[in-house]
Amino acid sequence: MKSNIGLVLAIAGLLAPLTAVAADNPMAISEELDAQYIYSGGGSTHGAGPHAGSISEHSADVKYVFSPQVTKDLLLRFGFEWQRFSFDVPGHIPVPDTLQQVSAVIGLDYQLGDQWLVRTELEPGMYSDFEDSNFRGFNAPLVLGVAYLANADLQWFFGLRVDLRSHNPVLPSPGVRWKFADEWTLNLVFPNPRLEYDVNDRFQVYLGANVESGTFVVGDRFGTDHGVPKLDHATVDYMAVRVGPGCLWKVRPNLTMEAGAGFMLQRRFDFFDQDMTIRNHDAPYLQIACHARF
Amino acid sequence: MLDGEILAERGPLMEFPNGITAETCFVVPISAEETAKQLKTWDATPHEALKVHAFQMLHNPCEPGDFQRLSFKSNQHSIRWLLERTKESTPDKSELNLSRSEARELAGCVDKNFDPTRIASCWSKLLFARAASFQRRRLAGILPYETTGETILPVMQLRAMLGEQLQVAHEFQPILQRIGLFGSTNGAVAPVPCYYWTMFDADHHATISLGAFYELAVDDHFQMVDVEYYVSGNYYTSATLYEIWPIRIGNKSGSLVWRDDFFAAPMLRFTKGTERLAYGAIMLQEIKKEIRYFQDDMKIKQ
Repeated sequence: MKSNIGLVLAIAGLLAPLTAVAADNPMAISEELDAQYIYSGGGSTHGAGPHAGSISEHSADVKYVFSPQVTKDLLLRFGFEWQRFSFDVPGHIPVPDTLQQVSAVIGLDYQLGDQWLVRTELEPGMYSDFEDSNFRGFNAPLVLGVAYLANADLQWFFGLRVDLRSHNPVLPSPGVRWKFADEWTLNLVFPNPRLEYDVNDRFQVYLGANVESGTFVVGDRFGTDHGVPKLDHATVDYMAVRVGPGCLWKVRPNLTMEAGAGFMLQRRFDFFDQDMTIRNHDAPYLQIACHARF
Repeated sequence: MLDGEILAERGPLMEFPNGITAETCFVVPISAEETAKQLKTWDATPHEALKVHAFQMLHNPCEPGDFQRLSFKSNQHSIRWLLERTKESTPDKSELNLSRSEARELAGCVDKNFDPTRIASCWSKLLFARAASFQRRRLAGILPYETTGETILPVMQLRAMLGEQLQVAHEFQPILQRIGLFGSTNGAVAPVPCYYWTMFDADHHATISLGAFYELAVDDHFQMVDVEYYVSGNYYTSATLYEIWPIRIGNKSGSLVWRDDFFAAPMLRFTKGTERLAYGAIMLQEIKKEIRYFQDDMKIKQ
């Protein structure tokens, strides 16, 4: 992992002088702030013995990215992301109370030819339950994305998430955004595929899905404390899949508020290296989000 | 390029927040004189993909009858959008590009009679007044947009963009100076332009614009400027600069066209970073699509 930190610092050091170029033109600096909160109610639990009870969840995610444009076709991306999943866990179900990501964002966007955009983003940081996992929680997943801009109404996407700690270290995700009618858009892009309807220029309703996932390590005594010693300092792949309707309000040209509700189909804690999976099904959820660009 | 390939390049990022530019270069298989003539009068309405609802040349001086073809009788979402924005306009506030006096006159003319024919008639009066003012006083006759919260002068938007593209402005100095768009006219007489109005979809919204197409012979080639001096909404203004050089394609005359597009829109102020890259890339695709249709139409005239 030390080599990862060294690589990140080396890249940041090399790119720092370039950001000074962008400072001359205020339009060359862009900032993104995305915040989201989701409450999921209790759902039935499987994989933790009989009468395991239900698990409810509060999740919050804040991501800020500062992006200077250093050449006509190249933008750098620097920022941070904080994501926290908090679970109300009854009894001794071996599910952590909290899973958190606190990471930096280092990446770039590049225009390739007339119609291709490429994004690379490395997110080095701590991914753990923040109990006593120390630096074992350090990870640096890499996200690669390519967009093909066919025209104003049709764009194709291909994403790749590389996380060597995960049970699925390479996760591909193709997608498409197709505005097939004046009011309708099929926006099938991971992690929020949607069918969108524009009520007017400022208000949109949609039916879609939301996928949250991540790979974390738990504390050295997590298993022992929950009566399953083999789960001490284990790695867990977490994933939640929700479906439901929502709406989006463009408060200002650069500020969007969003609200949604629906049904959580599945939440999964996969301690894959210990062959233990805990699943949680069928719970309602509420979601609010805010997206600002400035 | 002789096979129809279009070279295209998005312009550099400007400090002017509302502006974006793009350059293209292409070959047309007709003489430079004929290309200049066809560019001024080319009607894109037969090409459905370009979403042009109407195109009409104006007399000089223009007449009220020049706008008779303007129609809002349609179930298309884009045209209904413009109807709705017209109905919602008040003397003080509108999403459309209007001066205060125009907004007052438009609201008074519509007078809560939302019949599409009535609204088309009100718009015709407004466009006629704008076109007549431009024909009389050229750039000085352009009224500002005042109903979106700030005062916008389309000609100032164009000058700001040209001011950041000095190499392009220098190349087109002969015609830009003559029409008074950039630099001093030094008393030179401006060429008489071709005037037109058009209605088309921009970002799925019907948009009406008034334009003037200037042409100037410079040595062995032509310079042309197409200025949209009024746009009803969605964006503020645009200017398209052409330099047309005579070339030989085998035994026939052809022309090499260098085109520069300058485009000012309010939402560009908020379109930064990757979104701006994507916006520029899509703008280039749309420009190339239009050029391809023009090239195809000119092949028939060959």
